[in-house]
Amino acid sequence: MKKKRKSMRGFLWIFPSFLGVLLFYLLPYADVIRRSFVGAVDNHFVGLKNYQMIFENTAFLLAVKNTVLFTVICIPMLIVTALVCAVVLYQSKYGGLIKSAFLMPMALPAVSVALVWRLLFHSQGLVNHWLGKFGVTESDWMNTPNAFWILVFSYIWKNLGYDIVLWMAGLSGISEGIYEAARVDGADERQIFFKITLPNLKPSLYTITVLSFLNSFKVFREAYLVAGDYPHESIYMMQHLFNNWFRSFSFDKMAAAAVVESAVLLGLILLLQKAWDSGDGYETG
Amino acid sequence: MKNKRLKRAAGILLSTILILGSFAGCTKKDGGTEGSTSSNGAGENQEGTAMGRFLEEDVELPIVLGNIYDVKKLEDGAIRMIGDNGDNGNKEAWDSKDSGDSWEKAYDFPEELQDADNGYIDYGALSEDGQAVFVYNKIEDSGIKPVIYVLDKEGKASVLPFEIPQSEEGMKALAMDIQFLGNDQLLIMDINNTVYQVSTADGSVKQTYEFESSEEEVRNYAVGKRMLATIGTEPLSYDTENGEQQSTEEVLQKSLSESGNIDAVSTLDGGESLYYLTSKGLYHYQFGGNVAEQVIDGGMNSLGAPAFYPIALTMIDEQSLLIAANDENSESPTGVALLKYTYSPDVPAKPEKELKVYSLRNNRELGQSISRFQKENPDIYVNYQVALSEESGMTVSDALKTLTTEIMAGKGPDLILLDGMPVDTYIEKGILRDLSPVLKESEGDYYENIINAYKDDEGQLCAVPARFKIPMAHGSGKDYTPGEDFDTFTSRQGVLAGVDPKILMDKFWYTCGASWKKEDGTLDASKITEFLTKMKNAYGEYDKSIEEDERTLSYAYANNEGIDVVRLTSLSWGEFDLLAGKVKVNTGLYESQEYGMLNAVNEKLENGDWGLMPGQSQNVFVPSMIVGVSSKSAQPETAEQFAKYLFSPEAQKVSQRGGFPVEKESFLSVIDGHEYEGMESLISGGSAGNSDVHISYAMEPTPQEEIQRMTEMVESLVTPALGDDVIKEAVSEQGEKVLKGEISPEEATEAIMQKINIYLAE
Repeated sequence: MKKKRKSMRGFLWIFPSFLGVLLFYLLPYADVIRRSFVGAVDNHFVGLKNYQMIFENTAFLLAVKNTVLFTVICIPMLIVTALVCAVVLYQSKYGGLIKSAFLMPMALPAVSVALVWRLLFHSQGLVNHWLGKFGVTESDWMNTPNAFWILVFSYIWKNLGYDIVLWMAGLSGISEGIYEAARVDGADERQIFFKITLPNLKPSLYTITVLSFLNSFKVFREAYLVAGDYPHESIYMMQHLFNNWFRSFSFDKMAAAAVVESAVLLGLILLLQKAWDSGDGYETG
Repeated sequence: MKNKRLKRAAGILLSTILILGSFAGCTKKDGGTEGSTSSNGAGENQEGTAMGRFLEEDVELPIVLGNIYDVKKLEDGAIRMIGDNGDNGNKEAWDSKDSGDSWEKAYDFPEELQDADNGYIDYGALSEDGQAVFVYNKIEDSGIKPVIYVLDKEGKASVLPFEIPQSEEGMKALAMDIQFLGNDQLLIMDINNTVYQVSTADGSVKQTYEFESSEEEVRNYAVGKRMLATIGTEPLSYDTENGEQQSTEEVLQKSLSESGNIDAVSTLDGGESLYYLTSKGLYHYQFGGNVAEQVIDGGMNSLGAPAFYPIALTMIDEQSLLIAANDENSESPTGVALLKYTYSPDVPAKPEKELKVYSLRNNRELGQSISRFQKENPDIYVNYQVALSEESGMTVSDALKTLTTEIMAGKGPDLILLDGMPVDTYIEKGILRDLSPVLKESEGDYYENIINAYKDDEGQLCAVPARFKIPMAHGSGKDYTPGEDFDTFTSRQGVLAGVDPKILMDKFWYTCGASWKKEDGTLDASKITEFLTKMKNAYGEYDKSIEEDERTLSYAYANNEGIDVVRLTSLSWGEFDLLAGKVKVNTGLYESQEYGMLNAVNEKLENGDWGLMPGQSQNVFVPSMIVGVSSKSAQPETAEQFAKYLFSPEAQKVSQRGGFPVEKESFLSVIDGHEYEGMESLISGGSAGNSDVHISYAMEPTPQEEIQRMTEMVESLVTPALGDDVIKEAVSEQGEKVLKGEISPEEATEAIMQKINIYLAE
């Protein structure tokens, strides 16, 4: 009886938070699922028609392709680059100072970044001006496939500092005693990195991957501010599509696409978690 | 144990504060700003409805007034009005002893002021003791000489021994305004914005106030012993006893920055407080106070109408007032009206029914119609919301997203002007109601070819243009022949040279865009390439010097600010360029009758003529003021009532250069120039910017054959221009580069298709 009262008390403590999640996430999400089976404005039941529509929609398929490509390229690049930087900085005595410098891009508002991007990559912008001095012909960067790589660079530049901090936190959690023992046993630096540092950073990898993944969605802000509703097709992301669908009252397609996207994301995160859970005794919870 | 309980209590307390705090953050902030509040002196009835509002009525005048110089409540309680008799031009003073209900003539102006052959009265004003003062511009051989006449209460005239000094820059000594300061002094403003405070007794100058010339308009008003000057919306207060500037009235300044320039003022307490009129309504401000109260909301009556130009305001008492104005909504044939506003405590402060009307950009015809509709339906308040303005900084995309949110939340507008919006998408999604029953009930006879622009397969009219514009071209015979096709026209190399490339692309988008859409909804790339190639040939080599052109700069400015750029694509905008020889052919949208100017320019051309603009599509018109009623409207009947009004001949005849009426009788009334009948001496004209090209022409009724030609032209229009801003923007952006020679037509088409394919696929 006492145990039951105790668990009830625990529930009461999380109730306000749960209420918030219920009101602002779960119920709206349930409404999104409902809307994915009805018409955009008239709310008539249409079955799976909305799902069929989005999978036949070339704009949706292009957005999915670009979003997946962006994620697949950016996240490994960001994680590896951040790790290399973190390891170097961790060993440097000025590491703390330089780490702060890497965090600067995060403090810059997206609008300012977009303005700089425009100044740099406009057809009559600074990059063309500089390249023109070397005889390179002008290019409208944001209206060519280069736009994709500009966006990749933008994402890595902005998030590198954050991932470095996370990696350095992971590095500081590794006991110096293990390194000393390895050195005593005759391990060289390469062996120490691969046999001690990397395995011990595995718990951080999960967090960094998920956070980098979530941050990758925010790159839409820069893309939107630089190139508007209809950017070059290489940087046309899911958010562009959702943004434009919302404007044109396509709530039916939006809801179906949102359900599909969240199902894929949930599946990916669960898979990722399972992969880590089945690792060397690491518990995510 | 005690410590644990304390911790728990503190935890609960903090959680409660957090929860309550988060809810407090969500509450809607209500009420006005510190600077200006809206109370209208309203009380509440038993149901809690705020009651009391000023009601507007036209004052019935014994004569038709051609002009009103001033109207004022005198010390003895009578109302005096001075003006021109519209029937014979006689200048008269009239008195009313019953607050405007009945009038009797006080006197005719003396002969020297009636002399229309040798001069004219430019400004006039009344004092509270019944004196009148006039600036009479005497026409002499050396030019215009302003003479100031002071009339006593009985109308006996004397010339004020005061001459406006000539400025050092040699500017002519002309008066721009005159008014009484008390009963024995005048405030006379000259053309250099210098105000002279002059004694009426001997013409001596008591004070001089100089205002630097700026782009903002300088006005001045006498309020008790104070002179209130405004530079734009910036108020400056002066003590007329010593000429010194007083401390800034910050509350008034804030109020004016929100409500706009002062048009007229009045006071009831010798200048301790001020009643002032702006386009937002009537306000009351106690000098030194901390609030400027809105007494009358201009949005509920004529005061907020775009074509309402106040002349004078006089407060009879706290509950009634008179306003003289040039008012297009007035029943008076001359448009000069005297309106009376009386406070009624028994009507709700705001009409019970509120109709929300929405448009992306301000529409003057709509504004004018709203004002007239409210006058006829005092129980309906039409709340007109304009999404894009110079202040809002909002993009079209942002505005449309906000609109979507509001409509889906059930808080959206009842009636939408769909100009610049994705009309086809809205129809397809079922956002709009069918308006065909409304049009069937309407009394007008409409151009079916125009109103059916958005008719769907089921015969529904969910979006109906209330007006339309005609893409037209004007040029000499060797460069342009009316009726010729796009291929022939564009085969003349350089025929379109001299126009800003972006403006040109925007103009030809109308006549060509409609032909690009294939039956499956996609765009025909080959037609776009053909369009760009032919346009490049007709444009020739790009001349960079046009970037310095004043008009191109203003276009760039307008584009960046997001304000209405449509005017820059109008036909009349380019007529002076055609006259000055800057362009060979002037193209653009014909949106109001400009026969006088077109004809005058045409006479200077060799075998000149005007007609439909050539394009890949034939007989194109541009739907304008596209009316739609939201299917989510909470009061569809009222919305349809207003939609019906917009198509009534009364509303259709309103012309503010926003397009021609779709109602046939109104169309004829707008183009026939009947307003110039009997006014043969009226001359209009202008010059082309800084150049020495001038033109002048008589304002006359349109010849019958021209009316016939216009009518036939309108009846021939069958193709509505494509109204898709996303495609237009993509074509305009890439087309500009083609005309500038930066990219080839093929490259441009590829870039356009790449963007548009995504858009169309969505």
